[in-house]
Amino acid sequence: MSQITIFNDVPQLPPDALFDIKKRLSQDTRPLKVDLGIGAYRDNSGKPWVLPSVQSAEEKLKKDPNYNHEYLPITGLPTFTSGAARIIFGEDYDQERTISIQSISGTGALHIAAKFIEKFLPNKTVYLSNPTWPNHKAIFEGQNLKTAEYPYWDAATKSLQLNEFIQTIETAPEGSIFLLHACAHNPTGLDPNKEQWSQILDTISKKNHIVLFDSAYQGFATGDLDRDAFAVRLGLAKLQNVAPVVVCQSFAKNVGMYGERVGCFHLVIPNQSSEINKKVKTALNSQLAKIVRSEVSNPPAYGSKIVATILNDPELTKQWHTDMITMSSRISEMRHKLRDHLVELGTPGNWDHIVNQCGMFSFTALTPEMVQRLEQYHAIYMVSSGRASIAGLNEGNVLHVAKAIDEVVRHFATNNPKL
Amino acid sequence: MTRFKSTSLLNKIESAPPDRILGLTDIFNKDANPKKVNLTVGIYKDNFGKVATFPSVKRAQDLVNKNYQSFQSLTYLPINGNQDYSKNVLDFIWNDSCQGLAHNYLLNDKINFVQTLSGTGAVALAAKFLSKFISKTIWVPNYSWSNHLNIFKENGFQYIKPYNYYDDSNGTISVDEWLSNLKLNRSQTDITSPQCILLHACCHNPTGIDPTKEQWKTIINTIYELNMVPIIDMAYQGLESGNLIDDAYLLRTCLSKGDWPNGLYLCQSFAKNMGLYGERVGSLSIVTPLNSNSNTNLNIDSQLKPIIRSFYSSPPGYGSHVANQVLLNKDLKLQWFNDVQNMVNRLKIIRLNLFNNLKWHDLIDFERQHGMFYFTRFTLKQVHHLRNKYAIYLTDDGRLSLSGINDSNIDYVSEALYEVAKL
Ligand SMILES: Cc1ncc(COP(=O)(O)O)c(C=O)c1O
Ligand SMILES: Cc1ncc(COP(=O)(O)O)c(C=O)c1O
Repeated sequence: MSQITIFNDVPQLPPDALFDIKKRLSQDTRPLKVDLGIGAYRDNSGKPWVLPSVQSAEEKLKKDPNYNHEYLPITGLPTFTSGAARIIFGEDYDQERTISIQSISGTGALHIAAKFIEKFLPNKTVYLSNPTWPNHKAIFEGQNLKTAEYPYWDAATKSLQLNEFIQTIETAPEGSIFLLHACAHNPTGLDPNKEQWSQILDTISKKNHIVLFDSAYQGFATGDLDRDAFAVRLGLAKLQNVAPVVVCQSFAKNVGMYGERVGCFHLVIPNQSSEINKKVKTALNSQLAKIVRSEVSNPPAYGSKIVATILNDPELTKQWHTDMITMSSRISEMRHKLRDHLVELGTPGNWDHIVNQCGMFSFTALTPEMVQRLEQYHAIYMVSSGRASIAGLNEGNVLHVAKAIDEVVRHFATNNPKL
Repeated sequence: MTRFKSTSLLNKIESAPPDRILGLTDIFNKDANPKKVNLTVGIYKDNFGKVATFPSVKRAQDLVNKNYQSFQSLTYLPINGNQDYSKNVLDFIWNDSCQGLAHNYLLNDKINFVQTLSGTGAVALAAKFLSKFISKTIWVPNYSWSNHLNIFKENGFQYIKPYNYYDDSNGTISVDEWLSNLKLNRSQTDITSPQCILLHACCHNPTGIDPTKEQWKTIINTIYELNMVPIIDMAYQGLESGNLIDDAYLLRTCLSKGDWPNGLYLCQSFAKNMGLYGERVGSLSIVTPLNSNSNTNLNIDSQLKPIIRSFYSSPPGYGSHVANQVLLNKDLKLQWFNDVQNMVNRLKIIRLNLFNNLKWHDLIDFERQHGMFYFTRFTLKQVHHLRNKYAIYLTDDGRLSLSGINDSNIDYVSEALYEVAKL
């Protein structure tokens, strides 16, 4: 028998960009280093922030005499999944048509969607915005699905390529899948306005496409959880007699429990007779449970219990809404500070897009070379696309960052007269 | 007006059968019989029918709660998990539990380690990896945890073959048949292509019967010669003897055999032995040969990460922090060993008490009957009768989870078992 090990042929893949940044950052010994990489909220001292609502929910949970570590049901903690549905769909959502399954945060929800599409909607192409969160492609292609791009961001004008976007919706094969960022688009920070959403969703409806909303930043666009659910709710209304709608919901960012992996997969089936609705819902629920069972058996309990506690206690829910405002207004303030500093420094170019964009990120329009120089000379880390997580800025580092951006922009401007 | 067209495919989807174990709990919860007893799920309950947190775990939890922020639960863990947890689990499994046998592998960084979503996540990840790079064939015992087939089917294996493990006619293990079966098959297939085989480390689920240590030696030798790749599913470490270290004997047997050319795979869970079921704490280890290329383990690591990243990005934190505290802290670790021993003592007392009522000798065959399950060998009809007439729930294959039995229901359960056995 051969002792030659097949492992020798396993090729090495490149590391994940974001997690790699985190690693380089942790090895960097310079005193003032700035993490504008991963999209995670930091307070004004640069520290992760425990939301007061989360803190209260934890205390409440730990006092509960029935607290234990028993397995959750396969589809998750019911008080969590129903609460999650209320937050994204509104209090009066149609339970008869809604299937909600707890997932391993947003990624896990997207992965369930990918598996579900692979099994039950085969040969459909998944359309992703250009640009988008890089893991989108990996998640869907990892399940052998074809992906394609729809135009979204016009780099020259830093605005939405609405016409091209609409055109792609119109020319895509009927019944394709369109992944839409529910709000606070990653990485551009640019969302369609209400009229644009309406036009986009009408065109999708006309072509019988299926919409998959990725909702990872609810609350970060406007500070208001309901207003940030606008696109999802409009989509449900417009598509209720046309096609199912999938929503992949993450509580990583808006509850600030990134590491506890709390999320929810929702599938809203289109309205048929009550009898068919029931039958379809039951069947789909069972198929989704089978998928979950095959990968994790049942989802992790701790984080979902905290979120369920918040969502089912009116006082805590109110507190959470306030916490959301605290986070989003700090980010907004930093956007203005950064822009104002750049203007004062006379940095070449227009920087208004930093304040016009919403959510955690700014798509700065810095080039990969500039980003590299920021890291090398200024210990400022962001992804090579030029996306900066604004939450990483604070009073203590925003001027340093502005000066560094000024330096790299001027550096390349002098070395490259075209810029 | 409904224009629901593009997705009429959805209407054609049929209902998948409910999960054979967790699905029953749903039915149980709706049962109105006040005497109902749930003996389906493998969860340890105390004599009051409560899922109590182990004292060691409770203390660890208090430590974690006290220092919550410093535990960084608020930020993402790395893709392959909590680094402190990894260090301490690696140490517990491959140092403590292997009693020096894995020393060289540790020393030479020949063990790939990933924090997983409990045992299930470990098996699923191993399946994804193995079916992609090593073999699309896997052998599974003819009774196994019902989810194994589902996991392997959904995660890339094309050929899932049963091997003869349990002899229904007399309730024993058929090691000879098992091995001759494998040998015959391997003589007809290309032996240079490896095939995978799933082994239960101890407390076989659902039968509760394990091979003897002598039998394991023969089994491992044969598997080795047949160029098979062992996947060890260790979900019940400690629940056989009450001693966590003793129960890792299958790992030690595999290591004593030497290098496994295509790797030795360990899927490990803290669900049962720390009672952290719902927190989803476990791990996957891949042990590569000592003489494998120096970048083999880096390559494997680089392939595991994209799978994880596209499945769920990074694992949940809380449970790993609690488990880490138990392992990190000498006091707590000692207490944990005691907690496991106490749990197993209670399971043995249940067996004894049942035996006193029923006189079924295999209940107390402690040499071969292990863990939280007793395999009744009831037919489906008997299982249903027990469920319908007495509201006592076993899984359909006749598996009875012992820890659901306690002082307040043992007479009722004994009587029902006695009656149903006569059918
Ligand atoms: C657009 C988008 N979707 C989904 C996610 C999923 O994140 P998580 O799995 O942490 O919930 C992210 C996280 O960065 C994201 O940016
Ligand atoms: C044989 C076996 N393997 C693996 C598992 C996985 O359990 P978990 O994913 O909860 O660790 C179980 C649980 O019942 C089991 O019985």
